[in-house]
Amino acid sequence: MDEKELIKKAQNGDRKALAELVRKYEQTIYNFSFKICRDKEKAEHAMQETFMSMIKNIGQFSGKSKLSTWLYTIVSNHCLMMARASKNKTFASLDDEDALIDEKNIAEWKITPQNIAENNELKNLLDKAIDKLPYDYRIVFLLRDVEGLSTAETGQIVKLSVPAVKSRLHRARAFLRNELNKMFLQ
Amino acid sequence: MKEEKVSCKEVMHHICDNLGEDLDSPKCRAIKEHLDNCENCQKYFDSVEKTIKFYQMYNVELKEEAHKRLLDYLGLE
Ligand SMILES: [Zn+2]
Repeated sequence: MDEKELIKKAQNGDRKALAELVRKYEQTIYNFSFKICRDKEKAEHAMQETFMSMIKNIGQFSGKSKLSTWLYTIVSNHCLMMARASKNKTFASLDDEDALIDEKNIAEWKITPQNIAENNELKNLLDKAIDKLPYDYRIVFLLRDVEGLSTAETGQIVKLSVPAVKSRLHRARAFLRNELNKMFLQ
Repeated sequence: MKEEKVSCKEVMHHICDNLGEDLDSPKCRAIKEHLDNCENCQKYFDSVEKTIKFYQMYNVELKEEAHKRLLDYLGLE
């Protein structure tokens, strides 16, 4: 059955269709949720709330955007709310764009992206680096660069114009690159 | 035609892509040319690409128990 039909059935109260939609997107949403909050328990919680919102509001889903776009929006908002609730965190400031790039003496990275699954040390560094990145930059980076959504779709989800998405993306990339660079060269 | 000069810093800020400049403008052509010939900038972009790759490859899998907890929470089977 194609997705449109499934959505229609789900909107008419078909529980099986709802379960089917959940099954189709749970892995994507859980993984994305983890990438935002970097914590498996929080990721699971945000995923649960996301699908609960989907079930409650599926009747209002117009089909103008993709269901995945809608789910990315909901899960981003849940993660953002959870982050705001735990206020004791401090993030880096990315306001000074110029300071984000030190163009002299760029080091070559010997490390190559392989077997990350088994490399817990590297995973720790990746968690540490992104943990300092404010959520509004983090979500843009994850949607556009990591999930591979288009700039326009990313803008729709975070309610920013395309140029604003590009600017945040640029800063987020430069920031993460710098953080990892510092750690790799230590 | 007038030669545009760009610095490493400008190239690293990749202004064509980020400010929506016309990719065929003299500035953007100068940036591409600089990039083709500058090891410093190439190293920079290589490390940015690796940064993105690392985050793409770092994934978690939803375990069967978590799947069950989800359906349970939602009252679905
Ligand atoms: Zn250069």
